[in-house]
Amino acid sequence: MTIRTRRAVLSNSMAVLTAMAFGTGRSSAAGPVEHAVSITGFKFVPETITIAPGDRITWTNNDIVPHTATAMDKRWDTGTIAKGKSKSLIVGEDHLTEYFCRFHPKMKARLILR
Amino acid sequence: MKLRSSHLAMAIAIMFSVVPAKAESAADLNDLQIAHVAYVADNIDIRYAHLALAISQNPEVRAFAQTMIRDHTAVNEQALALLAKLKAEPQGNFLSTTLQQNAEKLIDEMSSLRGQAFDKRYAENELAYHKAVNDLVENSFIPNIDNAEVKALFEAGLQIFKAHEAHAQMMVGKLK
Repeated sequence: MTIRTRRAVLSNSMAVLTAMAFGTGRSSAAGPVEHAVSITGFKFVPETITIAPGDRITWTNNDIVPHTATAMDKRWDTGTIAKGKSKSLIVGEDHLTEYFCRFHPKMKARLILR
Repeated sequence: MKLRSSHLAMAIAIMFSVVPAKAESAADLNDLQIAHVAYVADNIDIRYAHLALAISQNPEVRAFAQTMIRDHTAVNEQALALLAKLKAEPQGNFLSTTLQQNAEKLIDEMSSLRGQAFDKRYAENELAYHKAVNDLVENSFIPNIDNAEVKALFEAGLQIFKAHEAHAQMMVGKLK
């Protein structure tokens, strides 16, 4: 699987989570890109990012309380991201582009597929 | 330390049914007394949430209650850590006592409700409670807190509680 080869540094749990969340992904021609999303003040910052299959998104929670990044259709989910912690997912081809925080459903953001 | 007594009086009068004249004496609260009010208010909402988890079968109400427990616990932990760092202890006061007494009555009332009647009452109370407390925090506490770290924590807390208020508003709308 291309993603696992390229992301040999990822932990087993990350690989499992990725497989569960997105299925088999594919890198863009220019290679995978790292995207950072900060969760600050009950907002995903930036609120919109442009992604391609194979890219990795890392959410970092800078709030006091836990959050999640979860697909609107629940097909992928970072699980709980505690205060000061980060979680990553690798983008697949079949994910929904809108996501939210399961704990705070007013928090929403968008991924735009390149 | 001065308070905007009109905001405070309104919040307290709406939420806790006490006369404005009494609420105005909250102007004497110091940082540690304000911290105590906030700590008590957090714990009250945690108790409401545990009641909801014991009674409600509604998945959205239960999810909201779990979020209240998770978030208010996190805020309280942060507050206690800050107070420990400052080598200070929160100080009880009349407003904490009033909050506590009114919460006991409300818990008694809600405990007798079941099904949709409980869900609706819980949701409406969460909305009213967060509105009242947010008004108190934003307009009375934050402008009057002396310690910069305590003030910063209250500002972070306010952001959280405003999100709760919006979430509660959404829940109330769905239960109509």
